[in-house]
Amino acid sequence: MASLTVLSPVARTVEHSVKPAPRLRSLEGATIGLYWNMKAGGDAALDRAEALLRERSPGARVRRYTGSVGWLMRHCTAEDADRIAAEVHAVIGTTND
Amino acid sequence: MVELERRGIPTVIFTARAFVDDARRSAASFGLPGLPLAVVPLPFTNRRPDAIHRMVEAAFDQVVAGLTRPVEMPEPVERPAVEDRLAYEGPDALDAWERMNRDFLRRGWGDGFPLVPATPRAVEAMLRGTTREPADVVATLEPGFGLATVEKLAVNAVMAGCEPAALPLLVAAVRCLAAPKMYIRNKAMSTGPHAPLVLVNGPKGRAAGLGSGMCALGPGAPSVANTVLGRAVRLVMMNVGHTYVGVSDMDTIGSPLKYSLACAENEAESPWEPYHATRGYPREASTVTVHFVYGICELHDFRSTAPEDLADVFATAATNVAQVGTGLWLIGRRADPRYKTEEKEHNTLFVCPEHAQLFARAGWGRAELQAALYRRARLPFRTLMLNKEPQAFQTAHPELAWLADHPDLPLPVVEEPGCFDIAVVGGAAGRGAYFYGAGEPVTMPVED
Repeated sequence: MASLTVLSPVARTVEHSVKPAPRLRSLEGATIGLYWNMKAGGDAALDRAEALLRERSPGARVRRYTGSVGWLMRHCTAEDADRIAAEVHAVIGTTND
Repeated sequence: MVELERRGIPTVIFTARAFVDDARRSAASFGLPGLPLAVVPLPFTNRRPDAIHRMVEAAFDQVVAGLTRPVEMPEPVERPAVEDRLAYEGPDALDAWERMNRDFLRRGWGDGFPLVPATPRAVEAMLRGTTREPADVVATLEPGFGLATVEKLAVNAVMAGCEPAALPLLVAAVRCLAAPKMYIRNKAMSTGPHAPLVLVNGPKGRAAGLGSGMCALGPGAPSVANTVLGRAVRLVMMNVGHTYVGVSDMDTIGSPLKYSLACAENEAESPWEPYHATRGYPREASTVTVHFVYGICELHDFRSTAPEDLADVFATAATNVAQVGTGLWLIGRRADPRYKTEEKEHNTLFVCPEHAQLFARAGWGRAELQAALYRRARLPFRTLMLNKEPQAFQTAHPELAWLADHPDLPLPVVEEPGCFDIAVVGGAAGRGAYFYGAGEPVTMPVED
């Protein structure tokens, strides 16, 4: 039998940890941010989400957002995130594909 | 979204089923693997509103649950071996090597071609190519935040087939990848086929045997040092940066350029100052430049004898709207808000020596060619906007709203003449290459 010993090519990673935000008890009466990163179709998705939100939680309010920097995808800066966090209770996003 | 969660705001994201693993991996790398998703069957792109609305309706209960129910943190995923030595046995050495290759591919550590075994002795020999200590951390490489130690780079360099003289080049390339301006997280994880184009300048590239002339982009023996250096960069992106296809690299079409794309500039036959001198480095310095590119187009012209005619031909390569970067400046700039970086969209031209000398004989330097391309490579506003979001244009350039009334006005395909990066590469006869770029190149010095 022949034996071959090799070193692993895989690097150790730096781990990050973020505690999830407390969830809302209900969407009724809440202000919900609708965040679009400007990828095609995301606006139509949020249009329908807003309509459904109004149907199911008539007391909910919505605010629309996009990021202040970017190109095909617009991203939130730290300042954007601070502003959004100060204005809404929760956010629905279309930021993935 | 993770940044909003950090600020105490519950979030939920619509995600197409095919991208769920990517979204989870991405969220996990930022510290919140349980980030709630509302999974829809298909991406929203290229769909009519009614089809999108139906997907949202079907997923809306997930939206409500994501915002109102406790976040379930998934079990930690099993981490791949980091410091382990792996042993393979077989009836003979070839069989053991085949088992190693099959296992590495199964784990996702290979690029598909057979890998050179990174035995302790081979890695030790590779490490003699640098004066740095094996444990030195060159960078933390996104998207996986992998610690790029010199030893891990050496292991991947061995696997790619590099000689020890290439290790300092690889170290410099990794520093390029990790530079905040590179925004590698975007390029590594995107659905687009981003390939790192590696251009080496200076004596250390020549000492490492990099080719710059005949068939510099491969394949074959004259370009073998190029091929294996480019391959090492890809393996490092995978095994150190944790850019794994279908997991954290969501490239939907792929590209042969992603296997390997590296060469040196043909400084000996260039009539111009070396490329790295245009980027502020001394002529005698050795540097590595990395520019992510999407695709390649030949720059062919056997006929022109005047620089204006040759520039006319080159400019046609730049006016391809199906390439994502063409006219992208109209909807903003690639930006990483974490580091407050912004990139203009650049394209790289490899001009063959014969063409470069034609330009030079007419008194044209790089700046003249860049200016000529900028003037010639123009398309009507309406054509540039064919595949771009109107609202993104309105958001990025409210001062240009008047263009809507002038749809046939020709506009430059790039933001400024300097967005054409020009290097002299290749052999005799009039053939070069145009690379459709993604953002800006980054250059780093090569250190021993």
